[in-house]
Amino acid sequence: MKKDICVIDDDEIYQKIIRKLITRAGVFEKAFFYMNAVDALEDLKNPETSLPSVILLDINMPAMDGWQFIELLQDSYPSLFSKCDIYIVTSSIAYSDKEKMEDLPGLAGFLSKPINVDKLVEIGEAVK
Amino acid sequence: MAQTIKNPNTISKRKPFLIGLLAFLFLLLIGFFMLWQRYQILEESRQSEMEGIIDVVEQNIDQSLKYSYSAALSLALQIDNDGKIDNFDEVAPQLVDNNPNIDAIEIVPDGIITKVYPYEENKAAINYNILQDSTRNEEAFKAIERRRMFFGGPFELKQGGVAIVGRLPVFIKNEFWGFVAVLIDFDNLIHQSGIRELSGERYKFQFSKVNPVTNKEEFFLKGVSGVDGSYSEHITLPDGDWKIYIIPLDPYQPLYAVVPVAFLILILSGAFGWIIYNAMKQPLILEARVKEQAGELAKSELRFRTIFNQAAIGMARVNSKTGMIQQTNKRFQELLGYSEEELKTMDYKDVSHPDDLVENTELMRKLRNNSIREYSLEKRLERKNGTNVWVRLNVSALWEEGQPATSHIALVEDISARVKAKQELIENEKRFRSLVENSNEVILIINKEGEAVYCSPSLKRITGYDELLCSGNDIFSLIHAEERNLLLEKLKCANANPGKAYAEIVMRVKTSNSHWIWVNATLTNLLNEKNVEGYVVNLRDVTAKKEAELNLVKSYELVMEQNKRLLNFAYIVSHNLRSHSSNLESILDLYDTEDSEEEKQNYMRLLKNVSENLNQSLHDLNEVVSINTNLDISLEPISVSDYVDKTIELLGLQIKSKEAKVCKKVPAEMVVSFNSAYMESVLLNFLTNALRYSHPERQPYIKIRGYKEGFNWILEVEDNGIGIDLEKHGDKVFGLYKTFSGRQDARGVGLFITKNQVNAMGGSVEVTSEPDVGTTFKVVFK
Repeated sequence: MKKDICVIDDDEIYQKIIRKLITRAGVFEKAFFYMNAVDALEDLKNPETSLPSVILLDINMPAMDGWQFIELLQDSYPSLFSKCDIYIVTSSIAYSDKEKMEDLPGLAGFLSKPINVDKLVEIGEAVK
Repeated sequence: MAQTIKNPNTISKRKPFLIGLLAFLFLLLIGFFMLWQRYQILEESRQSEMEGIIDVVEQNIDQSLKYSYSAALSLALQIDNDGKIDNFDEVAPQLVDNNPNIDAIEIVPDGIITKVYPYEENKAAINYNILQDSTRNEEAFKAIERRRMFFGGPFELKQGGVAIVGRLPVFIKNEFWGFVAVLIDFDNLIHQSGIRELSGERYKFQFSKVNPVTNKEEFFLKGVSGVDGSYSEHITLPDGDWKIYIIPLDPYQPLYAVVPVAFLILILSGAFGWIIYNAMKQPLILEARVKEQAGELAKSELRFRTIFNQAAIGMARVNSKTGMIQQTNKRFQELLGYSEEELKTMDYKDVSHPDDLVENTELMRKLRNNSIREYSLEKRLERKNGTNVWVRLNVSALWEEGQPATSHIALVEDISARVKAKQELIENEKRFRSLVENSNEVILIINKEGEAVYCSPSLKRITGYDELLCSGNDIFSLIHAEERNLLLEKLKCANANPGKAYAEIVMRVKTSNSHWIWVNATLTNLLNEKNVEGYVVNLRDVTAKKEAELNLVKSYELVMEQNKRLLNFAYIVSHNLRSHSSNLESILDLYDTEDSEEEKQNYMRLLKNVSENLNQSLHDLNEVVSINTNLDISLEPISVSDYVDKTIELLGLQIKSKEAKVCKKVPAEMVVSFNSAYMESVLLNFLTNALRYSHPERQPYIKIRGYKEGFNWILEVEDNGIGIDLEKHGDKVFGLYKTFSGRQDARGVGLFITKNQVNAMGGSVEVTSEPDVGTTFKVVFK
């Protein structure tokens, strides 16, 4: 089965780094990158686009944060979590964010930056 | 005693009754006797009246018959010795027509009717032999026998009608020749007799004859039935053997006349008897009453003597003129400690306390003058042993009103215990009153209607209300609306549990100058308590304490808010720094494992970027921290207008390049207490934002407005830029590192710093915005 990955993060430098890491990990056939959640949501909501196997999602983003993104995407895909592994990726997590994460048991996990190649391989292998 | 009262009563009832009854019967007897006499007189007068009438009738009939006789005789004389009558036709009409009593005349030789006048009416009787008719010949023979005229009938005539017939026997040479007969119509006879006129309406008549054949009495007038001999009167006419009766139409008429009188007599006798009965009874009743009262008097005298002697209050009879004590009872003696004999030698002044004498003497004078009949007084009496006793004295005159004074009765009641208790009560009341009135606690008594019926003086000290203002006012109107329900709830509890005190009712009360003060109240329902009959409310002014408490809460909230902000800040800082460090780590990692030199160069450039970002972040953080830590930053009066001008000048280039229009309406007198550097920073931030987030499709228009709202100066910066969706980001507008535009140059620091600066100066910032329309920031200065 083909595995693809989608990265949503507003950090320009992180974007460059993750591109390299995905290439090196080599478990994903395709990768999509978004600098903000609004654009990502627009693409993913498009019925012609299929959901990626994995989404690496930042929380703190302008215009729309990670939580809003999940909520809105769920409107289109009620069983979003069974179709797609969503990982929250952030450098630190606030208490309020931790609570929100507990409210969403379907999340695949929480990843603390920095991310390395081994972790990406692990994520790739975990895809059902 | 009851016996003696009852017996005369029964006698008095029986005897007058008997006398009354006798008087009644006696009067009745006399009355009825007189009535009987009267009745007899009435009867007799009627009888004599009837006799008079019948006499007249008799005379009238006699007259008629006499006329008939003379007519018959006149005709008989016309008969010659041969028994011939030549001039019948001349004589007869003369006789009949001139005599109204006669209706017809006949010549009857040998009993056979040969001639008759008037002929036409009577021709049927011609040749009728009366002597051979057995029903009528009796009377004809009677006439022959008597040799004089005799009247027969009344009977039915051959020629019709009812009539009587007078027959005069005619003898020639002593030989019976025949009759000359005269016919009188019966109705005519009755008419001639005048019976009808005489009888009037009160009497009726009857005409009878004994039938010569049957010897029975026959009655001829119709409509008159049986003749009662007891009331009727009659005469007998020998010429025809007739009887004429007169009968009263109402035989009992005289009786009727006396009946009402009889009733009157009965009633009068009865009334008289009753009057006599009552008159007779009166003295007996009076006698009985006198006896009864005499008994009562004796009894009450005994009773009063007993009362006087045994009474629990002291009694004395005192000579009103001299004041000497005349008589005392046991209790009076005990009260003063003197014997009866001793008291008899003393006057009332000897036993009175000198201090009370003046009033008592004055009252005594009034009593003697008859200006009062009684008086009462609380005074002290002196005992034999020299001690005093408080008494209540009631004095009543014992003489008739208006008469000269004789003696009076004095009732003396020992009230020393009561007086003592009363004094104690007064002292207690005074003590409690001074406690209540001097305490700082307000005490109110409020009735069921919510009106204050008592307010302690401290009410005025604390709330400024006069007592008057308070009564008639609804207490609830003085309670702050937010606490009214609390009070109502407590009131409900108090109503359910009378007597229980409900404390710690903390509420705001409006003072007379419309300020609110905090009071701590205790409410007790004493509605059922006599002398209170209301809710007792104790109030303590706790405004100072409550305000301190509220300030504490405010401070606490402020500290909590700052704490939260600091925590948030710490998180943001760590997050920010961590994202840079993680980027550094990742790049270095990639660098180490990269073989291509070109790529390595790329990583070095990335590293440089990260380093720049990190520097920027540290710069921002430094700025933020400096606001939050610099507590003693200097304040100075700042003319907002001047600073706005300065900022516009500073941004001159940008405004020009954006072709923006800036409109400033800030009054010169708008001077606020602010830090100069902060003011520059705040204004620069708002204006920069307004320019940076301008709408791409229209000319930027920035309106800066300063005005006063209440006590506070307000500064508004309004733009027509892209706006912020406050529904989505409302809570994050002023957050650190919160950006909404998606623009790369938005760092999420400016508004965070601005807000912190304004807050540090004690002001506040509000935002209103609509996407695609514009944003307005409003600064409220302290």
